Amino acid sequence: MLAVRAVGLRPAIRASGISVMALRATSRGVKTESITTTDQRSILDKQRLNRPSSPHMTIYEPQITWYGSIAHRITGVGLSVGMYAFFLSYLAAPVAGIPFDSSAVVELVHGLPEWAKVAGKTVFAFPFAYHSLNGVRHLTWDSTKLLSNAAVTRSGYAVIAGAIISTAALVMM
Amino acid sequence: MISATARRALLAQNRQLLRSQFTPIVGGRARWAATSSSGTPPESVYVPGGPVYKGSVNDPTPFPTPSKAHGSHHWAFERLLAAGLVPLTGVAFVTSGSHYPVLDGVLALSLIVHSHIGFDSVVVDYLDTRKKPVIGQVAKWGLRAATTAALVGVYQFNTNDIGLTELIAKVWTA
Repeated sequence: MLAVRAVGLRPAIRASGISVMALRATSRGVKTESITTTDQRSILDKQRLNRPSSPHMTIYEPQITWYGSIAHRITGVGLSVGMYAFFLSYLAAPVAGIPFDSSAVVELVHGLPEWAKVAGKTVFAFPFAYHSLNGVRHLTWDSTKLLSNAAVTRSGYAVIAGAIISTAALVMM
Repeated sequence: MISATARRALLAQNRQLLRSQFTPIVGGRARWAATSSSGTPPESVYVPGGPVYKGSVNDPTPFPTPSKAHGSHHWAFERLLAAGLVPLTGVAFVTSGSHYPVLDGVLALSLIVHSHIGFDSVVVDYLDTRKKPVIGQVAKWGLRAATTAALVGVYQFNTNDIGLTELIAKVWTA
Protein backbone atom coordinates (compact mmCIF):
# COMPACT_ATOMS: atom_id res chain seq x y z
CA MET A 1 0.00 0.00 0.00
CA LEU A 2 1.21 3.51 -0.76
CA ALA A 3 1.95 5.56 2.34
CA VAL A 4 -0.77 8.23 2.01
CA ARG A 5 -3.63 9.20 4.23
CA ALA A 6 -6.69 7.17 3.31
CA VAL A 7 -10.02 8.99 3.29
CA GLY A 8 -13.48 8.07 2.05
CA LEU A 9 -15.82 5.10 2.07
CA ARG A 10 -14.13 2.86 -0.52
CA PRO A 11 -10.98 2.03 1.51
CA ALA A 12 -13.18 1.16 4.45
CA ILE A 13 -15.27 -1.28 2.37
CA ARG A 14 -12.11 -2.76 0.87
CA ALA A 15 -10.56 -3.20 4.29
CA SER A 16 -13.67 -4.90 5.60
CA GLY A 17 -13.31 -7.72 3.04
CA ILE A 18 -16.78 -7.41 1.42
CA SER A 19 -16.60 -8.24 -2.34
CA VAL A 20 -18.59 -5.71 -4.33
CA MET A 21 -18.27 -7.83 -7.49
CA ALA A 22 -19.75 -10.83 -5.69
CA LEU A 23 -22.69 -8.67 -4.66
CA ARG A 24 -23.13 -7.49 -8.26
CA ALA A 25 -22.82 -11.02 -9.68
CA THR A 26 -25.93 -12.26 -7.96
CA SER A 27 -28.11 -9.90 -9.97
CA ARG A 28 -26.47 -10.22 -13.45
CA GLY A 29 -28.68 -11.06 -16.41
CA VAL A 30 -25.89 -12.36 -18.69
CA LYS A 31 -24.96 -16.04 -18.85
CA THR A 32 -21.59 -17.25 -19.98
CA GLU A 33 -20.44 -20.73 -20.87
CA SER A 34 -16.94 -22.07 -21.01
CA ILE A 35 -15.73 -23.89 -24.13
CA THR A 36 -12.44 -25.59 -24.96
CA THR A 37 -9.68 -23.72 -26.84
CA THR A 38 -10.11 -25.91 -29.92
CA ASP A 39 -13.81 -25.03 -30.04
CA GLN A 40 -12.95 -21.35 -29.61
CA ARG A 41 -10.54 -21.66 -32.52
CA SER A 42 -13.06 -23.35 -34.81
CA ILE A 43 -15.71 -20.68 -34.06
CA LEU A 44 -13.15 -18.00 -34.88
CA ASP A 45 -12.11 -19.73 -38.11
CA LYS A 46 -15.75 -19.99 -39.24
CA GLN A 47 -16.21 -16.29 -38.53
CA ARG A 48 -13.09 -15.39 -40.45
CA LEU A 49 -14.40 -17.17 -43.54
CA ASN A 50 -17.47 -14.91 -43.51
CA ARG A 51 -15.46 -11.70 -43.35
CA PRO A 52 -14.72 -9.74 -46.55
CA SER A 53 -11.11 -9.02 -47.51
CA SER A 54 -9.81 -5.82 -49.07
CA PRO A 55 -8.63 -5.94 -52.69
CA HIS A 56 -4.84 -6.07 -52.96
CA MET A 57 -3.39 -7.48 -56.16
CA THR A 58 -6.37 -6.34 -58.22
CA ILE A 59 -5.87 -2.67 -57.36
CA TYR A 60 -2.07 -2.36 -57.12
CA GLU A 61 -0.60 0.13 -59.59
CA PRO A 62 1.20 -1.69 -62.44
CA GLN A 63 4.91 -0.97 -62.02
CA ILE A 64 8.06 -2.20 -63.68
CA THR A 65 9.24 -3.50 -60.28
CA TRP A 66 6.61 -6.09 -59.61
CA TYR A 67 5.64 -6.78 -63.24
CA GLY A 68 9.29 -7.50 -63.91
CA SER A 69 9.51 -9.66 -60.80
CA ILE A 70 6.49 -11.83 -61.58
CA ALA A 71 7.61 -12.08 -65.21
CA HIS A 72 10.97 -13.37 -63.93
CA ARG A 73 9.17 -16.00 -61.89
CA ILE A 74 6.74 -16.99 -64.66
CA THR A 75 9.48 -17.30 -67.30
CA GLY A 76 11.65 -19.29 -64.90
CA VAL A 77 8.85 -21.66 -63.95
CA GLY A 78 7.82 -22.06 -67.60
CA LEU A 79 11.32 -22.95 -68.79
CA SER A 80 11.91 -25.31 -65.87
CA VAL A 81 8.57 -27.06 -66.35
CA GLY A 82 9.50 -27.59 -69.99
CA MET A 83 12.91 -28.98 -69.08
CA TYR A 84 11.56 -31.29 -66.35
CA ALA A 85 8.80 -32.46 -68.70
CA PHE A 86 11.36 -33.33 -71.35
CA PHE A 87 13.63 -35.33 -69.05
CA LEU A 88 10.78 -37.07 -67.26
CA SER A 89 9.21 -38.00 -70.61
CA TYR A 90 12.57 -39.32 -71.76
CA LEU A 91 12.62 -41.60 -68.70
CA ALA A 92 8.97 -42.62 -68.94
CA ALA A 93 8.78 -43.14 -72.72
CA PRO A 94 10.15 -46.72 -72.84
CA VAL A 95 7.69 -47.67 -70.10
CA ALA A 96 4.78 -46.24 -72.07
CA GLY A 97 6.02 -47.66 -75.36
CA ILE A 98 6.18 -44.24 -77.09
CA PRO A 99 9.41 -43.61 -79.04
CA PHE A 100 10.87 -40.46 -77.44
CA ASP A 101 14.52 -39.73 -77.98
CA SER A 102 16.46 -36.89 -79.54
CA SER A 103 16.11 -38.14 -83.12
CA ALA A 104 12.34 -38.47 -82.70
CA VAL A 105 12.09 -34.92 -81.40
CA VAL A 106 14.30 -33.55 -84.20
CA GLU A 107 12.20 -35.41 -86.78
CA LEU A 108 9.00 -34.03 -85.29
CA VAL A 109 10.27 -30.45 -85.35
CA HIS A 110 11.66 -30.87 -88.88
CA GLY A 111 8.23 -31.84 -90.15
CA LEU A 112 6.54 -28.67 -88.85
CA PRO A 113 5.65 -25.74 -91.18
CA GLU A 114 8.02 -22.75 -91.19
CA TRP A 115 5.70 -20.43 -89.27
CA ALA A 116 5.33 -23.04 -86.51
CA LYS A 117 9.11 -23.33 -86.22
CA VAL A 118 9.51 -19.55 -85.93
CA ALA A 119 6.67 -19.35 -83.40
CA GLY A 120 8.12 -22.24 -81.39
CA LYS A 121 11.59 -20.68 -81.35
CA THR A 122 10.16 -17.34 -80.19
CA VAL A 123 8.14 -19.04 -77.45
CA PHE A 124 11.32 -20.61 -76.10
CA ALA A 125 13.78 -17.80 -76.84
CA PHE A 126 11.95 -14.86 -75.27
CA PRO A 127 11.47 -16.37 -71.76
CA PHE A 128 15.05 -17.63 -71.86
CA ALA A 129 16.43 -14.21 -72.84
CA TYR A 130 14.26 -12.29 -70.37
CA HIS A 131 14.98 -14.63 -67.46
CA SER A 132 18.73 -14.59 -68.15
CA LEU A 133 18.98 -10.80 -68.42
CA ASN A 134 16.73 -10.21 -65.41
CA GLY A 135 18.77 -12.83 -63.54
CA VAL A 136 21.88 -10.72 -64.15
CA ARG A 137 19.91 -7.71 -62.87
CA HIS A 138 19.08 -9.67 -59.70
CA LEU A 139 22.73 -10.55 -59.22
CA THR A 140 23.75 -6.88 -59.53
CA TRP A 141 21.24 -6.08 -56.76
CA ASP A 142 22.81 -8.82 -54.66
CA SER A 143 26.15 -7.03 -55.06
CA THR A 144 24.39 -3.87 -53.77
CA LYS A 145 24.55 -2.06 -57.12
CA LEU A 146 21.72 -0.23 -58.98
CA LEU A 147 19.41 -0.23 -55.97
CA SER A 148 17.89 3.26 -56.29
CA ASN A 149 14.37 3.69 -57.68
CA ALA A 150 15.61 5.38 -60.86
CA ALA A 151 18.25 2.69 -61.48
CA VAL A 152 15.72 -0.11 -60.94
CA THR A 153 13.29 1.47 -63.40
CA ARG A 154 15.95 2.08 -66.01
CA SER A 155 17.48 -1.38 -65.71
CA GLY A 156 14.02 -2.95 -65.86
CA TYR A 157 13.24 -1.34 -69.20
CA ALA A 158 16.76 -2.08 -70.42
CA VAL A 159 16.24 -5.78 -69.64
CA ILE A 160 12.98 -5.83 -71.60
CA ALA A 161 14.64 -4.12 -74.58
CA GLY A 162 17.63 -6.47 -74.37
CA ALA A 163 15.33 -9.48 -74.22
CA ILE A 164 13.47 -8.42 -77.36
CA ILE A 165 16.73 -7.85 -79.26
CA SER A 166 18.18 -11.17 -78.01
CA THR A 167 15.02 -13.02 -78.98
CA ALA A 168 15.23 -11.64 -82.51
CA ALA A 169 18.89 -12.67 -82.70
CA LEU A 170 18.20 -16.16 -81.32
CA VAL A 171 15.23 -16.82 -83.58
CA MET A 172 17.26 -15.89 -86.63
CA MET A 173 20.10 -18.28 -85.68
CA MET B 1 -1.60 19.58 6.76
CA ILE B 2 1.85 17.92 6.77
CA SER B 3 5.12 19.86 6.61
CA ALA B 4 7.15 20.32 3.41
CA THR B 5 9.95 17.98 4.50
CA ALA B 6 7.51 15.28 5.59
CA ARG B 7 5.70 15.61 2.21
CA ARG B 8 8.99 15.23 0.33
CA ALA B 9 9.86 12.15 2.37
CA LEU B 10 6.43 10.60 1.63
CA LEU B 11 6.81 11.21 -2.15
CA ALA B 12 10.30 9.67 -2.16
CA GLN B 13 8.96 6.63 -0.31
CA ASN B 14 6.14 6.21 -2.89
CA ARG B 15 8.58 6.49 -5.77
CA GLN B 16 10.76 3.78 -4.23
CA LEU B 17 7.77 1.45 -3.73
CA LEU B 18 6.55 1.96 -7.34
CA ARG B 19 10.02 1.32 -8.78
CA SER B 20 10.36 -1.94 -6.87
CA GLN B 21 6.92 -3.12 -8.07
CA PHE B 22 7.44 -2.22 -11.75
CA THR B 23 9.28 -4.90 -13.82
CA PRO B 24 9.73 -4.03 -17.51
CA ILE B 25 8.66 -6.79 -19.94
CA VAL B 26 11.73 -8.07 -21.78
CA GLY B 27 12.13 -10.96 -24.15
CA GLY B 28 14.61 -13.71 -24.82
CA ARG B 29 17.65 -14.26 -22.73
CA ALA B 30 17.07 -11.25 -20.43
CA ARG B 31 13.61 -12.54 -19.56
CA TRP B 32 14.94 -15.98 -18.90
CA ALA B 33 17.72 -14.55 -16.74
CA ALA B 34 15.31 -12.34 -14.79
CA THR B 35 12.60 -14.89 -14.12
CA SER B 36 14.14 -18.34 -14.30
CA SER B 37 15.86 -20.07 -11.46
CA SER B 38 16.90 -23.22 -13.40
CA GLY B 39 20.37 -24.03 -14.74
CA THR B 40 20.80 -23.98 -18.55
CA PRO B 41 19.13 -21.48 -20.89
CA PRO B 42 16.48 -22.83 -23.32
CA GLU B 43 17.43 -24.02 -26.81
CA SER B 44 16.24 -21.09 -28.91
CA VAL B 45 16.31 -17.93 -26.82
CA TYR B 46 15.25 -15.57 -29.58
CA VAL B 47 11.50 -15.60 -28.78
CA PRO B 48 10.05 -12.08 -28.91
CA GLY B 49 7.81 -11.39 -25.96
CA GLY B 50 8.40 -14.72 -24.24
CA PRO B 51 7.97 -18.46 -24.81
CA VAL B 52 5.44 -19.64 -27.39
CA TYR B 53 2.67 -21.80 -26.05
CA LYS B 54 0.84 -23.75 -28.71
CA GLY B 55 -2.88 -24.25 -28.62
CA SER B 56 -4.90 -21.06 -28.23
CA VAL B 57 -6.29 -18.31 -30.43
CA ASN B 58 -3.73 -15.82 -29.16
CA ASP B 59 -0.68 -17.73 -30.38
CA PRO B 60 1.90 -15.63 -32.18
CA THR B 61 3.37 -16.87 -35.45
CA PRO B 62 5.92 -19.59 -34.72
CA PHE B 63 9.44 -18.78 -35.91
CA PRO B 64 11.56 -21.45 -37.58
CA THR B 65 14.72 -22.37 -35.69
CA PRO B 66 17.66 -20.34 -37.00
CA SER B 67 19.94 -22.47 -39.19
CA LYS B 68 22.73 -21.40 -41.53
CA ALA B 69 22.00 -24.36 -43.82
CA HIS B 70 18.50 -23.07 -44.48
CA GLY B 71 19.57 -19.44 -44.23
CA SER B 72 22.73 -17.66 -45.28
CA HIS B 73 24.48 -20.70 -46.77
CA HIS B 74 21.44 -21.55 -48.88
CA TRP B 75 21.30 -17.95 -50.13
CA ALA B 76 25.01 -17.90 -51.00
CA PHE B 77 24.80 -21.25 -52.79
CA GLU B 78 21.81 -20.10 -54.83
CA ARG B 79 23.55 -16.89 -55.97
CA LEU B 80 26.87 -18.61 -56.73
CA LEU B 81 25.05 -21.22 -58.82
CA ALA B 82 23.12 -18.56 -60.73
CA ALA B 83 26.30 -16.58 -61.35
CA GLY B 84 28.06 -19.73 -62.52
CA LEU B 85 25.30 -20.46 -65.00
CA VAL B 86 26.10 -17.28 -66.94
CA PRO B 87 29.57 -18.32 -68.24
CA LEU B 88 28.43 -21.95 -68.47
CA THR B 89 25.60 -21.07 -70.85
CA GLY B 90 27.85 -18.75 -72.83
CA VAL B 91 30.41 -21.49 -73.32
CA ALA B 92 27.71 -24.01 -74.25
CA PHE B 93 26.60 -21.64 -77.00
CA VAL B 94 30.00 -21.57 -78.68
CA THR B 95 31.12 -25.18 -78.22
CA SER B 96 29.45 -28.41 -79.17
CA GLY B 97 28.10 -30.81 -76.58
CA SER B 98 29.64 -33.87 -78.20
CA HIS B 99 33.17 -32.46 -77.94
CA TYR B 100 32.87 -31.54 -74.27
CA PRO B 101 30.45 -34.00 -72.62
CA VAL B 102 31.56 -33.17 -69.07
CA LEU B 103 30.77 -29.50 -69.63
CA ASP B 104 27.42 -30.54 -71.03
CA GLY B 105 26.72 -32.65 -67.97
CA VAL B 106 27.74 -29.87 -65.59
CA LEU B 107 25.47 -27.42 -67.41
CA ALA B 108 22.50 -29.79 -67.31
CA LEU B 109 23.10 -30.58 -63.63
CA SER B 110 23.39 -26.88 -62.73
CA LEU B 111 20.20 -26.10 -64.63
CA ILE B 112 18.29 -28.83 -62.78
CA VAL B 113 19.54 -27.65 -59.37
CA HIS B 114 18.80 -24.02 -60.28
CA SER B 115 15.28 -25.01 -61.34
CA HIS B 116 14.80 -26.98 -58.13
CA ILE B 117 15.73 -23.97 -56.01
CA GLY B 118 13.35 -21.81 -58.04
CA PHE B 119 10.49 -24.30 -57.72
CA ASP B 120 11.19 -24.58 -54.00
CA SER B 121 10.82 -20.80 -53.61
CA VAL B 122 7.50 -20.96 -55.45
CA VAL B 123 6.26 -23.82 -53.26
CA VAL B 124 7.31 -22.03 -50.07
CA ASP B 125 5.70 -18.77 -51.22
CA TYR B 126 2.34 -20.15 -52.31
CA LEU B 127 1.95 -23.59 -50.71
CA ASP B 128 3.65 -23.19 -47.35
CA THR B 129 3.09 -25.99 -44.84
CA ARG B 130 1.99 -23.52 -42.16
CA LYS B 131 -1.07 -22.36 -44.07
CA LYS B 132 -1.69 -25.40 -46.24
CA PRO B 133 -0.54 -28.45 -44.28
CA VAL B 134 -1.57 -31.24 -46.66
CA ILE B 135 -0.98 -29.78 -50.12
CA GLY B 136 2.18 -28.06 -48.85
CA GLN B 137 3.73 -31.36 -47.90
CA VAL B 138 2.52 -32.97 -51.14
CA ALA B 139 4.10 -30.20 -53.20
CA LYS B 140 7.37 -30.23 -51.22
CA TRP B 141 7.94 -33.97 -51.51
CA GLY B 142 6.54 -34.16 -55.05
CA LEU B 143 9.08 -31.54 -56.13
CA ARG B 144 11.93 -33.49 -54.54
CA ALA B 145 10.80 -36.67 -56.29
CA ALA B 146 10.49 -34.85 -59.63
CA THR B 147 13.98 -33.33 -59.27
CA THR B 148 15.48 -36.73 -58.47
CA ALA B 149 13.77 -38.27 -61.49
CA ALA B 150 14.88 -35.35 -63.68
CA LEU B 151 18.48 -35.86 -62.53
CA VAL B 152 18.28 -39.53 -63.48
CA GLY B 153 16.78 -38.48 -66.81
CA VAL B 154 19.58 -35.98 -67.42
CA TYR B 155 22.21 -38.64 -66.74
CA GLN B 156 20.50 -41.14 -69.03
CA PHE B 157 20.01 -38.57 -71.76
CA ASN B 158 23.58 -37.30 -71.66
CA THR B 159 25.00 -40.84 -71.58
CA ASN B 160 22.77 -42.75 -74.02
CA ASP B 161 21.75 -39.89 -76.25
CA ILE B 162 23.28 -36.73 -77.67
CA GLY B 163 23.13 -34.48 -74.59
CA LEU B 164 21.33 -31.23 -73.78
CA THR B 165 23.33 -28.68 -75.79
CA GLU B 166 23.44 -30.92 -78.89
CA LEU B 167 19.70 -31.45 -78.67
CA ILE B 168 18.98 -27.73 -78.49
CA ALA B 169 21.38 -27.03 -81.34
CA LYS B 170 19.79 -29.72 -83.52
CA VAL B 171 16.18 -28.78 -82.73
CA TRP B 172 16.92 -25.10 -83.27
CA THR B 173 18.23 -25.67 -86.75
CA ALA B 174 15.87 -28.54 -87.65
